[in-house]
Amino acid sequence: MSNGTPEPLVRFINVRKSYDGKADAVRALNLDVETGEFLTLLGPSGSGKTTTLTMLAGFEQPTEGRIFVGGADVTRVPVEKRGIGMVFQNYALFPNMTVGENIAFPLTVRRTPRAEIAAKVARALSMVRLDGLADRRPQQLSGGQQQRVAVARALVFEPRLVLLDEPLGALDRQLREQMQYELKHLHARLGVTMVYVTHDQIEAMTMSDRVAVFSTGQLRQVAPPRLLYEAPESLFVAQFLGESNTLPGTIARLSGSECSVTLADGTTVIATAVGACAAGTAVNVAVRPEKMVLGAAAAACANKVQATLLEVSFLGDQLRLRLGAFGREDIVVKLANGAGQETLDPGAVLTIGWHAGDCRALAS
Amino acid sequence: MKTLQPSGIVLAFAWLVLSFLVLPAFAVIPVSFTDTRYLSLPEEHWSLQHWRTFLSSQDWVDSIGQSLWIAVVSTVLSVVAGTLCAIGCWRLSSGLSEKIRGLMILPMAVPTIVYALGIYRLYVELDLVGTMLGVMLAHAVTGLPFVVLTVSASLSNLDPRLEQAARGLGASVRQTLRYVIVPNILPGVLSGAIFAFIHSWDELIVVLFIGGRALFTLPRRMWDGINDNLDPVIAVVATAMILFTLLVLTAELSLRARRAS
Amino acid sequence: MLSQASSVNRVYWLIVAPAIVMLVLFYFVPLGQVLLTSVTDPKPGLGNYALLFTSAAIHKTLLTTVRIAAITTGLALVLGYAVAYAMRAATSQRQRLMLFCVLLPFWISVLVRSFAWLTILGPQGPINAGLMGLGLVDEPIALSRNETGVLIAMVHVMLPYAILTLYANMRGIDVGLVSAARSLGASRFQAFRMVFLPLTRPGLIGAASLVFILSLGFYVTPAILGGGKVMMVAQYTAFQINETMRWGLGTMLAAALMIAVLGTLWALSRVIDVKRLFSA
Repeated sequence: MSNGTPEPLVRFINVRKSYDGKADAVRALNLDVETGEFLTLLGPSGSGKTTTLTMLAGFEQPTEGRIFVGGADVTRVPVEKRGIGMVFQNYALFPNMTVGENIAFPLTVRRTPRAEIAAKVARALSMVRLDGLADRRPQQLSGGQQQRVAVARALVFEPRLVLLDEPLGALDRQLREQMQYELKHLHARLGVTMVYVTHDQIEAMTMSDRVAVFSTGQLRQVAPPRLLYEAPESLFVAQFLGESNTLPGTIARLSGSECSVTLADGTTVIATAVGACAAGTAVNVAVRPEKMVLGAAAAACANKVQATLLEVSFLGDQLRLRLGAFGREDIVVKLANGAGQETLDPGAVLTIGWHAGDCRALAS
Repeated sequence: MKTLQPSGIVLAFAWLVLSFLVLPAFAVIPVSFTDTRYLSLPEEHWSLQHWRTFLSSQDWVDSIGQSLWIAVVSTVLSVVAGTLCAIGCWRLSSGLSEKIRGLMILPMAVPTIVYALGIYRLYVELDLVGTMLGVMLAHAVTGLPFVVLTVSASLSNLDPRLEQAARGLGASVRQTLRYVIVPNILPGVLSGAIFAFIHSWDELIVVLFIGGRALFTLPRRMWDGINDNLDPVIAVVATAMILFTLLVLTAELSLRARRAS
Repeated sequence: MLSQASSVNRVYWLIVAPAIVMLVLFYFVPLGQVLLTSVTDPKPGLGNYALLFTSAAIHKTLLTTVRIAAITTGLALVLGYAVAYAMRAATSQRQRLMLFCVLLPFWISVLVRSFAWLTILGPQGPINAGLMGLGLVDEPIALSRNETGVLIAMVHVMLPYAILTLYANMRGIDVGLVSAARSLGASRFQAFRMVFLPLTRPGLIGAASLVFILSLGFYVTPAILGGGKVMMVAQYTAFQINETMRWGLGTMLAAALMIAVLGTLWALSRVIDVKRLFSA
């Protein structure tokens, strides 16, 4: 679109999907997936992320709007003609075929010559480190191995785009983390574009180049993980990704991107204005718990306030404090585990502070 | 996600087969109202003459009575023996109940003609040929599998600890059966009873052999009618039996729906 | 404690007993008598069984029986597969309607249905009336009192068994596998042939065996629609007893029929769970 940048591989234009003609599962979706990137669709269940993937795969068709892949309109192209690799939530390995036959399937249905199939299957098997297991039945493999077969099957016909629908959902935590890195490395090595669906924010942050956050059928924000975390553009994103202290208030004064906000208890804080803000706009001020500092460090901050320590939880690598301030009792501060923290006892009165740049006023 | 999408041709074919399945039920009904003396659709107008003949014929009315009696008594026998057997097997061990259930399949799989020959030989010796008792017993035995299978299916959904709990609270075996087990499997027992009743009501081959000269149940009289002179009264009987079955089937389906909820 | 437990067990054994006694006395004893008679009448030995290999009339009957059973099985499988498949794909409301269409004939007695077919296929029946009304034929075509009639009615009787067995199998198949196949590039037909069809193999084997063994022993339908011209083994057996009083020959045929059926079931039980076949 903008001059100089290459054409995106996938483009959703004004896509709407309704199953029953009443409620929209997805609405007003505009989203580009760049060639070679790892994009994650993240959101709670019912947010529209799976519907979006299903439409891209071709199992469902949009009620309105168009979908382009590689510049071609695929909105009405049947699923098997799209040439997209897909990894399913429960793997969907064919129980009537061996591991080798499963991986060969996309090639067999494309009538690839036999010798070529054999070579490609062998290469795919060694790519996912399953050499020698070609003659096993899927049921004889462990969960992690089945997962790798599903990945190999989606990659073997060298599609330019691979979709993964919560592929690690059924694995235990350790295996899950290992598979996250394996998938990431495969992506880096093959340079194939991957679109990944998950409801797990840590997984999304770990693996993605960019994350698209969905809620109630709408795309809320697309950005690289760090930007998404540091600069959320809506209250939903600020709260869904990680933890935020949110303080409702009204903008009193606006100068450039900086604004001063009057909170419910009359206190004023300085924050970065996000979105359509003007004096008088009702906003939520969001601050990450780890951006709040105590004591001497707090004195140097634009925002500081006296707070009463209510509760201390020791979490090993960090300390989690619950404090009372601004007329509320749910202010959370996270401190990295360090010296001198033994003196923090409930009842103590502390100064907490944070910089205006770490604090976002989000129009509600 | 629509995953199985049969093509229009397959769907149309399936509905064609389904209409082939219900066709006979709908074809025989108008034939029973024919105004002719042979089996055909009504030609000039619809007529009740054959229904009148059927209802005023002492032979047909007697047959209905015999069929009903035999079906009721043999159903009671099958239900009592079959339910107790299923409960006993369920409580004693699952291995045993599996074996008994396996055995119960035999009467459903062995061709009736084989059994008919055997029971006739036995009844000649016991002097039971041509007696109500003889037919009732034969139908009760062949109706057993229906009861045992449906009741066992109900029991397999019942938590075995219920029985232990009742016993632990001081109930005797009799009380446990009466207040705990039977009420919980009642839909299964009723289904089994319906199957057993229909089995006896429809049964022809065994009656042909052991009915002697005295017993003409509804199916046997129909059979004779079909072989002797095909007159439209038989279409009337067939229609009556179809309507009766429709009634029972509706009852069974609603029982099934209740069990599912 | 232990003696109390065993006395409770004795009670449960007692309530199992009536059914077992009934079954043994009035089912297994008669079957035993059939087997016994087949080797003792008219004189002890396997003379009756030798007829299986020597009698031309018996050969003809057996051939007719196997041919009709096989054709019935083939037709019921093809027609039943389409219905079961459509049922598996249908919405639950449509499914209930289809199930009703399958169960309705299943519950109407075989005698009534055979008679109904005789009416429908007869010279004055609706089919011939329709064909003549349309001017397609000048005089009634023979659809009953021959093998065509027997086959039509037998397929009608056997279809529900085939459909219910196939449907039970198809319900257990994860249809997500079919979409997986489609997304990997398989056409609708390829996904069906390479994934769905192989997964229904146990259902096909089960339905085929069930329909075949039930067809082997069929009596009422061939007797009514065959009009005496199509003789299957059950009817031939009854004929030996009722008309010629050859008990040895009759019981031998019955015993052979029973052995064939039970043998098939036994072989089948090594491949699939036979008990589930009969609980539909």
